[in-house]
Amino acid sequence: MTLDTLEPVRLNVPTDDVDLFCDDILRYPYEAYARLREKGPVVFLTRHNIFALPRYAPVRTVLEDHETYISGKGVGLSKFGNQSRRGTPIASDPPLHTKRRGLVAERLSLRSVREITPDLQRQADVLVGTVAEQGEFDGVADFSRRFPLMVMADLIGLPQDGREHLLEWADAGFNLFGPPNERVAKSEERFPEVRDYIRSLEQPGRLRPGSMGAAIYEAAARGEIEFDQCGPLIMAYLMAGLDTTINAISAALLLFGRHPDQWDLVRENPRLIAMALNEVIRLESPIQNLRRVVTREHELEGAILEEGVSVLVMFGSANRDESRWQDADRFDVKRNPVGHLAFGMGIHNCAGQTLARAEAASLLEALARRARRIEVGEPEWHLNNVIRGLERLPVRLVA
Amino acid sequence: MATIYVCDREGAERSIQGTDGFSLMETLRAGGFEEILAICGGCASCATCHVYVDAAFLEKLSPMSLDEDDLLDASAHRRPESRLSCQIRVSDALDGLRVTIAPED
Ligand code: HEM
Ligand code: FES
Repeated sequence: MTLDTLEPVRLNVPTDDVDLFCDDILRYPYEAYARLREKGPVVFLTRHNIFALPRYAPVRTVLEDHETYISGKGVGLSKFGNQSRRGTPIASDPPLHTKRRGLVAERLSLRSVREITPDLQRQADVLVGTVAEQGEFDGVADFSRRFPLMVMADLIGLPQDGREHLLEWADAGFNLFGPPNERVAKSEERFPEVRDYIRSLEQPGRLRPGSMGAAIYEAAARGEIEFDQCGPLIMAYLMAGLDTTINAISAALLLFGRHPDQWDLVRENPRLIAMALNEVIRLESPIQNLRRVVTREHELEGAILEEGVSVLVMFGSANRDESRWQDADRFDVKRNPVGHLAFGMGIHNCAGQTLARAEAASLLEALARRARRIEVGEPEWHLNNVIRGLERLPVRLVA
Repeated sequence: MATIYVCDREGAERSIQGTDGFSLMETLRAGGFEEILAICGGCASCATCHVYVDAAFLEKLSPMSLDEDDLLDASAHRRPESRLSCQIRVSDALDGLRVTIAPED
């Protein structure tokens, strides 16, 4: 059998030769997404050898059917990346998934998050106070990156030393979800450092007693997880909670900066903040694309998908699908964004979303109390294979 | 189609029509009860879709998952007839159901 005999299968869907992970598209992905949505519900991407799902409905179908579309073969597009995440919740299927996710679920539950919310609010107030006095500041380095880094490192109980590298490692970790490209190669180079850091955490006393990290090692002592899986699991939670939340926060700054009328609405009625955050990440979804592997031949929206093929779950594109969202590209804090897929859906839906919401809401509430206007300059995008977010954003708060 | 009677936070009652297969949360929101915030979109993680279900119907609902039980425990307004409306599937069997929207936490 030659490769060509596979073609008829592929050809029953439209194809596209876009490289979704090249610089230009990462910077401005939305035109390419719109073109793919226009072409069809399932589009074969010749460069990535994957069936892309750019529209809302099929993405939701796939996310809600974890038996036909599995995560255990890896949700990224490079082998190295998939190997590096093996056994973490995001890259596993039930029953392992249920166990691994359950291990620290209580730490991220609504109850636990409510307990720390007053602290988050206090810290948010301090941070907003600091940047307000600074005049012009970088909304990314001085603001958005500060908060989740502190929150996640404290939650996991990481020692103070070594925290300065965590953001770079998280960035590298997310790049590893991409297809084998230069960004993946560069990120692979960071792997030994991360491995050494993980090993250093295994020494007793490194993780704060009572922390989530310590709890994971205690679970290993009880035999609920293998000892050598603890470090990778800790890193997986850390990473998952950094760039995602960071970019949700900086996207909020950018969008409210560019749409002062929407900021007015939120300031007049802070109860809108929780929903406005959903709207922010609908429009600028921090995680753009992940993979699933098909377990049985079947038809999806007219496309025949054979066992073993990969589909690309396009969160960011689904969230701008005009057939699901009226005026999809418009930022509208009054719309009903419920049903957006920025936190995923189904059994892998974001385990940290309650925490992420509490962090972002604390910051926005503090901003709403202090700033009548959020003035923003030209943003510079940070290019990462799957994370959509900013590198720099000049901001000035007007009291 | 099931007719569902809803008592809002002000105590006013109104009926809405439920469509098979949708969740009660979706049905309530579509029916204009925006007090049901449903911040998490129905994945049982926010508890902003908390309702009290008429006792006569409690047994007709699908049983509560551990996640739902935990979330409801986090509410200061939990009662024996508490449920998360996003975890209830609407069907004809629920015709005549009465629910009250629980106070906000
Ligand atoms: C705004 C911020 C965030 C966004 C947009 C986000 C987005 C997502 C998405 C889309 C998924 C689904 C992946 C999939 O379907 O394969 C996911 C899963 C996950 N997220 Fe988040 N996330 C955020 C914050 C956080 C935080 C703060 C944490 C940790 C404290 C976290 C931990 C996780 C974990 C552990 C998973 C894997 C869950 C599983 O596979 O069962 N996330 N996140
Ligand atoms: S909608 Fe969030 S728990 Fe029901």
